[in-house]
Amino acid sequence: MDESPLQNIAISGPTLASIIQRFSTSPSSIDGLLFGHVTHITPLNLSDDSAESPDSPTLLATVTGFLSSPSSASTTSFFDSSGTVNPSSIRRLLHHHHNSSLLGWFSARRKTPLRPSMREFSVTASLSSLSQFSSSIKNATKPSSFNPCVFLLFASPSVDHNTHVHTHEYRAYQFRGAGNSFEAKSINIINIGPAFRGHYGSFSPNSMFPALDCEVGGSPMKEDEERLSRMKQVAKDKKELDDYAEGFEIGKLSKLMGSEATSYTAGLEDLYEKMLLKIQNLTRDVENSSVKVLELESYNKKLKLKISRSAASE
Amino acid sequence: MGGVADSVPPFIAAHLTHLLSHFPLTLKVQQMWSSDKYNSTLFDRFTLLIPYCLDFIKWDIIYNADSPSTAPDFIFGPEDHDFHPFHMNSSIQPTQPNNSLKDWNYKDPSRLLQLVQYLRDQYVLYQRKRVEAVDDDRLKFEISTIISREGIEMHLTSSVEKPEEVKFAVPLMDMNINKMVASCPWRYSQKIYLQVVYPVGRKYLAAPSAPRLKLVSSPELKALFSIDDIKLPPWLDGMCLAEYLPNLEEYLEKQVLEAVSLVDVRRHFIEALACQFGRPVEADPVFCRKATFLSASGVFTFLVHLLIPTQFPKQQPALMLQSSQHFNTQMAPMKSRLISDYPWSPRWEIPLMAERICEFLADESLNFKRQCSEGQLQ
Repeated sequence: MDESPLQNIAISGPTLASIIQRFSTSPSSIDGLLFGHVTHITPLNLSDDSAESPDSPTLLATVTGFLSSPSSASTTSFFDSSGTVNPSSIRRLLHHHHNSSLLGWFSARRKTPLRPSMREFSVTASLSSLSQFSSSIKNATKPSSFNPCVFLLFASPSVDHNTHVHTHEYRAYQFRGAGNSFEAKSINIINIGPAFRGHYGSFSPNSMFPALDCEVGGSPMKEDEERLSRMKQVAKDKKELDDYAEGFEIGKLSKLMGSEATSYTAGLEDLYEKMLLKIQNLTRDVENSSVKVLELESYNKKLKLKISRSAASE
Repeated sequence: MGGVADSVPPFIAAHLTHLLSHFPLTLKVQQMWSSDKYNSTLFDRFTLLIPYCLDFIKWDIIYNADSPSTAPDFIFGPEDHDFHPFHMNSSIQPTQPNNSLKDWNYKDPSRLLQLVQYLRDQYVLYQRKRVEAVDDDRLKFEISTIISREGIEMHLTSSVEKPEEVKFAVPLMDMNINKMVASCPWRYSQKIYLQVVYPVGRKYLAAPSAPRLKLVSSPELKALFSIDDIKLPPWLDGMCLAEYLPNLEEYLEKQVLEAVSLVDVRRHFIEALACQFGRPVEADPVFCRKATFLSASGVFTFLVHLLIPTQFPKQQPALMLQSSQHFNTQMAPMKSRLISDYPWSPRWEIPLMAERICEFLADESLNFKRQCSEGQLQ
């Protein structure tokens, strides 16, 4: 079983930022699964003289999503302490991510060297051997599959004298079953801009936006109650979305264009102010909840330490 | 290391203390630090220095203070990036069926030691594989002749700046030096190693040059026997290790046996001194390298320190006098220089040696007293 080599690994800016954010706010190490898709890219070296080398890498792995959990939480982890992956817990985790395929996993640990550890090697070796979780390669000339062999490593430096600057380093690897080794791969961060237009051209949305079910009627009577509660939920979701859009109605926005626009400077400023206010409220909410979370975390930590001390002294 | 109990979570501290006090080799913790963002006083990661092939390998051991019940993880040195202790046979499945990590029991303090021992054993095999893969005919031959020696360790150093080298640490002599010394104070078994360094890949040389040779022992052994005094037998052209080692071992064995027998000679010497000076104030009872006597010349009392070399009686002891009555400005007792140029013959009988030292001191003490009262000494 040998996977074809990847040319590089692409990850969207927000996804990368989101993993780093999760890592930097978590009290300890985290790890998790990476989702996305693998695409076959047509090689562009169409020169006459050189015979194309058959093994030049033509695969691009794009990470579009992830699922993370604290490393220490043994209940949610998909591998044991020896680094052996448990397929059934992967299947359980995949249950919620059926529309994107498993590419690999990531590990983020604080104050450690940026090199794969012993356990990370074992987990990657074990995960990439599970062909039942392989994904099909898009645009491939012949039907082929790709085992989850991508590994992203995040670390912060062991010695960090400057506590005001948070440094996060990362590195990407592909596990090669044949050589039983990690192969470092370059990471391509997809951002908005002309250089990445190609990526957005082939963009396929796969976010978890709530499905707004508006279909009414034409259903058997016995499902009515269930249906009613679902409709209530939908109405609630819709209202929530409307709240976000308050003050930004389409009618109002249309006035900002055309001949009328010149006289609506005040209207524009008003809109802008409302927007700022909303953002301010949002950040305040986030700040308050972060403080609460932090308080709870440090309280839990103290309790944990107490328990372990008393357990050790027994 | 005194602060281990306070700064390391209890279970992790238990593992670490057990490891450091029971491992058969001298381990060192180079540094300890915390993974925590806010509270950096709770250490859960540390760098361990493990002796290997007469050098150290550095491994980072990663625990999580948040869940001290979880097994630790290891990060090996950057030059050992293809060392995968549980995947040594280039198979995906872990090679070790009774993998000690699988049923990790954090309450058992010996677990970390077992794990480190297993990993070090695997590291020995890993380096051996690397060295065996080196494409050098002479090296292949040397390995084939000495591979059966128990405890041999080898290491392939490859860096950008230096040419590749293969280093062997060959334990010499199948003798237990610890057992030969009465009431031996050494915790670790004393061994003498021959370090052999071969440059790699100089195939075009018809007559390969001699490898770099060096004897190495632990510093504790110096009390009995100094390997710096040993002159290595010459490496003849076209020689191989298998030819070189037996001669060297035979020679070394004689030296060690002689060194052990010299302990008793020194003991007799101290006893003979006691006849002249009275019971020693202090004496090294195991190796008999040091003794201190109290002596007097008239009303002037002073201490005589004797430092007895391992080559005694070929080399004479060094003497140092220390006044009990004169002090310098820092209120430290005044001492003479080390005296090792007094009359001496290794052919004298031991009681005669003691007698001659006593005679010499009768004169020297007057000198010393005068120097003390004139404040010529520090």
